[in-house]
Amino acid sequence: MTPPDSTRFPAGASPALTADGVVIARALSQRVATADGPLAILSEVDLAVAAGETLAITGASGSGKSTLLGLLAGLDHPSSGEIVLLGQRLDELDEDARARLRAGRIGFVFQSFQLLPALTALENILLPLELAGRTDARERATHWLDRVGLAARAGHTPRQLSGGEQQRIAIARAFATDPQIVFADEPTGNLDADTGARIIDLLFDLNARAGTTLVLVTHDDALASRCQRRLRLVAGRVADLEPA
Amino acid sequence: MKRPSASHSRMLRLGLWLLRRERKAGEWRVLLLALVIGVGSVSTTGFLGDRFKRAMGEEGARFLGADLLVTSPRPLETWPAHRLAESRALEFASMVSRGDAFQLATVRAVDAAYPARGAVRIAARPFEPGTPGRALPPRGAIYADQELLPLLGAQVGDRVQIGSEHFRIAGVVVEEPGQLGGVFGLAPRVFMRADEVASTQVLQPGSRVTYLYQFAGEAPALAELTQALKPQLDRTQRLIGAREGVETLRGAFANADRYIQLTALISLLLSVAAIAIAAHRHALRHYDQAALLRCMGATSADLRTLYLAQLATLGVAGSLVGVALGAVLQASLAHLLLPDAVARLPALGFAPVLAGVASGLLALAGASAPALLRLVRVPPLRVLRRDLPPLPTSAWVSAFASMSMLLALTAWYAGELKLVGIFLGALAGLGLLLALLAQLALGLGRGVQKMSYGPLRFGLAQLLRHRFDSTLQLGAFTLALFLVALLALVRSDLVDGWRQQLPADAPNYFLVNIAPHQQKEVGDFLARHRLAASELYPMVRGRLVTKNGQPIESTLPPEQSDAATLRRELNLSHTVTLPANNRVVSGDWFGSRRAAEISVEAGMAERLGLALGDELGFAVGDQTLQARITSIRSVKWDSMQPNFFVIFAAGQLDTLPASYLAGVRVPDSASGALPEFVRSFPGVTVLALDKLIAQVGAVFGQIISAIQLLLGFLLAAGMAVVVATLLASLDARQQEAVLLRTLGAQRAYLAKGLMSEFLALGLLAGLLATVCAEIAMALIAERLFDLPLQLHPWLWLSLPAAGALLVGTSGWLTTRHITRVPPMQSIRALN
Repeated sequence: MTPPDSTRFPAGASPALTADGVVIARALSQRVATADGPLAILSEVDLAVAAGETLAITGASGSGKSTLLGLLAGLDHPSSGEIVLLGQRLDELDEDARARLRAGRIGFVFQSFQLLPALTALENILLPLELAGRTDARERATHWLDRVGLAARAGHTPRQLSGGEQQRIAIARAFATDPQIVFADEPTGNLDADTGARIIDLLFDLNARAGTTLVLVTHDDALASRCQRRLRLVAGRVADLEPA
Repeated sequence: MKRPSASHSRMLRLGLWLLRRERKAGEWRVLLLALVIGVGSVSTTGFLGDRFKRAMGEEGARFLGADLLVTSPRPLETWPAHRLAESRALEFASMVSRGDAFQLATVRAVDAAYPARGAVRIAARPFEPGTPGRALPPRGAIYADQELLPLLGAQVGDRVQIGSEHFRIAGVVVEEPGQLGGVFGLAPRVFMRADEVASTQVLQPGSRVTYLYQFAGEAPALAELTQALKPQLDRTQRLIGAREGVETLRGAFANADRYIQLTALISLLLSVAAIAIAAHRHALRHYDQAALLRCMGATSADLRTLYLAQLATLGVAGSLVGVALGAVLQASLAHLLLPDAVARLPALGFAPVLAGVASGLLALAGASAPALLRLVRVPPLRVLRRDLPPLPTSAWVSAFASMSMLLALTAWYAGELKLVGIFLGALAGLGLLLALLAQLALGLGRGVQKMSYGPLRFGLAQLLRHRFDSTLQLGAFTLALFLVALLALVRSDLVDGWRQQLPADAPNYFLVNIAPHQQKEVGDFLARHRLAASELYPMVRGRLVTKNGQPIESTLPPEQSDAATLRRELNLSHTVTLPANNRVVSGDWFGSRRAAEISVEAGMAERLGLALGDELGFAVGDQTLQARITSIRSVKWDSMQPNFFVIFAAGQLDTLPASYLAGVRVPDSASGALPEFVRSFPGVTVLALDKLIAQVGAVFGQIISAIQLLLGFLLAAGMAVVVATLLASLDARQQEAVLLRTLGAQRAYLAKGLMSEFLALGLLAGLLATVCAEIAMALIAERLFDLPLQLHPWLWLSLPAAGALLVGTSGWLTTRHITRVPPMQSIRALN
């Protein structure tokens, strides 16, 4: 692994974290071609997230939050700049190698839950465990279903569950493989305030117990304030990167 | 980074697990159903073809009854020396009677060595398996086909009359060599002793007899005899080697089999359309799943393994069920096409199982490869941005996959390149025509929509909005309904139409083989019973050998030189008056001129390039007759009157052995006269034309039923296309329904709208199919059968009704839940 060049980080980038950062971005830019010429969605974003840290990426709609999350998780390539994820430079990896890097080590929580409709609650949690080839998949899935308080709903399909319940299943699925990082994209975006608050409690509780790194995108200040640090994007540029 | 192979087995397991969880998904079911229909269709014909081919291969000489067979219309007097086992037999048609019952039979008079190879199976009672052995019955006895017994009201042990002699029925013939598809044999078989033929007095000079000479032995001796015989035989005599005989039959069957298989292939290809649509919908609904799996760390190779495992499982399962369906239905097809041979066909083979599964997998791979490739190329970022489509698969790759599947399947079933071209060309033409008609029909639908209101207007709007789907559904369904209707029309019109067209006084019986000395007695008998009869025509059997002194073959182009007219003996006649239903088209009728003149039928003249003034030579026994063509006649062959290709002027055939022929009308009221006639003239053959027509009709009906069985598959495949396209539009429809219900549309309104759409689709398909069937039928009736044009009002009612019923039912079953789900639940499901 190439040691990151800490001199390139701005003052607020917490140099202490750069050497052992699990997610590092340098001069990250993303541009798309439009009819009116190239449009910059992200410009020169520098960032480092330490193991076990929680980071909120905030900003208005269209500020590039989800794009940044997708790039950091290796779901997309940047137009320029460099990302190091779990010690691997993503630009050196092709799409499949990035997928292998994610397998079992990265969990996701989405705004729209993304549960497979044909699978039961238990089976949805089982999916990443089976994919990672865990021999104790079923026990772990049952354990995590219990951890999110839905043991009684094991056999229910997503259609039979409320939004809050679906997101709890999605959280259990994200943590079930003991990932090093969990990326969450607007985890409360589809939920009412009460349910959202309970989901946040659950997410941070599980995260604290597992010591997982958590990177979440939100425009909810209450949620962002629960994170150790907050990165605010304005028109694709880092406006603030501050310890929370 | 190398992947451990464990990952493949993990993906395989995961793929099957997900498949099991999703087994209730509509598109899987449609895909599976379409596959079962397609493979079932090709397997049904595949199994039968394979059984038949193996029968030919395994039985070989046993099948023909000899290693070498010579047939001749005259006895062969001189034989080259040979070292082979030999059997001689003669075959002729004769009446068999018992009391008032009589029936025409094909009598084979055999010696003790018949058959030279293989065996005839004789049973003591009908429908018993019997024992294999020689065909020679005991003295004073015969063996008869089991179907002859009920026709005569006889049982084994009873006595029946053939000619002027009585015989005891000593057993029933269960099977004999050389017989296949007995459906085409119109008179049941009787075996008798050759040395007892003379006592029956059935055979008169001029009677139609086939002499059969069978040989069996070692190959060199067979080759020697073949070499020595060949120069000796004329065109009416045939020399058939076991291999050659089998090859001829096999060739004839292979051709028929190929066309039947291609008919079956249409169902498979229509199923392919349904599969492609279902696979596309499956892919569309699984983009999110694929993206999620990629997010969780699955590589594209992992996804390929996972989805291939699912597809292969479905492919093998669907194909096996299809093959099983084929194995069941081939028995019905065998009974329809080869009723007499079913018992002798070998058991089901394994090759068609492989062929069926391979066809299914190939069809599935070709139809779903493009969709599958897209699934594997879903970007993981789609989990965040739902609108991201999968990376486009190269259009070349998709087109290549589909085209190679189409070509491979067609080449497989067509066998030769030319046929592949014709088949695919015809298919493309038909597809284009149907698409055009469907567009026209939809245009009509637009007109109706403008005038309608309420749910009907809404339903028709739906139909027009999904224009591509509607065209596909209409095309597929119209094709299936059209073919089914056409066959029904052919069956009802051609057979019945021909029968109804006959004048009421047309002869319904032919009296054949009347000996010259019986002319007066027969005439008296007919007069006494007031039966209207045609003139008694003499019949002399002769062969056309020369034209203007040249051998006839040398005057013909090579492709004509083997014409059937030259290979068989012609019935030559002479008369003074031009027969009714004949018309002189050139030259003039000789009337009572007693000169060496002949009148030739126009079709024969055209085929053999004969013109007025040509002098033709005929071989009759060992004599040669020369006569000049002075007239050419057109003949109405379907008039049911005695008709002849060649008629001589009066007196020209007087010195030659002749038998006489008359057509007679026996009204129902006088049917009692027939048994008396048969008893009085045992040697005369009575051909019941009514029965013959009915039998031809029955044979025709059997063949049509066989094809209809295949068209059943086509209809099912058409329905699969309808359901697949409906399913493909289900999400969009559900979204629309949710929106409409949220805006206040009542459930009943939506349900009526959906029903209007499907009923309109079915009605239009039925209507189009009716128009196509009427046009096709008019062309067939006029061009091929010279029947008057007629419309079929029942078709205009029943076909659109059937279409509406079938499409309405399948459409309603596919979409009914759309209107039942509460809007909130739908919204949640769509999210």
